[in-house]
Amino acid sequence: MVEALSPLKTVCAPGRYGADGEAGIVLGTRAIRSLWQIAGWADFETAAADLLGVLGLNGLGDYRTARVAGAVTAWRIAPDKVLIEGCGDLTGYGSADLAVLDLSHARTLIDLGGPAARDLLTQIVTVDVRAATFKPGAFLQTGIHGVGVLIHCIGSDDFEIYVPSTWAESLWEVFCENALPHGLLVNGAG
Amino acid sequence: MIRIDCPVCGLRNETEFAYGGDATVRRPAMDESEMGPWRDYVFIRDNPRGWHREYWHHVQGCRQWLVVERNTLTHEVGTCRLAREVAE
Repeated sequence: MVEALSPLKTVCAPGRYGADGEAGIVLGTRAIRSLWQIAGWADFETAAADLLGVLGLNGLGDYRTARVAGAVTAWRIAPDKVLIEGCGDLTGYGSADLAVLDLSHARTLIDLGGPAARDLLTQIVTVDVRAATFKPGAFLQTGIHGVGVLIHCIGSDDFEIYVPSTWAESLWEVFCENALPHGLLVNGAG
Repeated sequence: MIRIDCPVCGLRNETEFAYGGDATVRRPAMDESEMGPWRDYVFIRDNPRGWHREYWHHVQGCRQWLVVERNTLTHEVGTCRLAREVAE
């Protein structure tokens, strides 16, 4: 098994940056626990539901709400695609009806929190992320500086942002630069 | 500004999408041997003033191909459906 090294390991420097006072933004990262995409064709819903059932998830869910069962989280990102984290190795579930793809090394996770987290998101995405519309448990796919990302709201002001690993360092800089006016606290890798 | 109501992701800004061309064009039958229909299919497009059906790709969202009705005069956007459903 190849060790997954975060592209943020050289830039995620713990410390306090930017404006004085209480830090409005808290940034960090954590290792992704096996991230797989399952995709299919005409019989996708049946094939995917069987696999998700094995993982403890009942049904595919909708396109806006994450499904959680224990350590497993699933996001239905398209009619015939589901992204799953914490599911272990799914190689054995590949079939003519279900394509499985290991994306564990292809995505990097940025943790975003703090009382100004929604303000920062509002600055850099074109989607309504106010608390009334983007609630804990919801997710959305959008672009940040032209890079496609998945944003999962895991708390009132806490978000996990899955970004392509090849763009992680650039997006990290975008987050940091926009966070400085709010006061930035960077945590170490979780 | 154009906002497109993606059936998967919801109402989104045009900047998340890529224009994919005229959705009213139909490919000739594969056994079509005349050059004219193939030339028209590849090169010839109408330039309508008013409502038009277009392909758009939600490249920074669900990555689905969509068929969007757009008014070329006012940029008003009408219905938006998954291209796979329109083709069925």
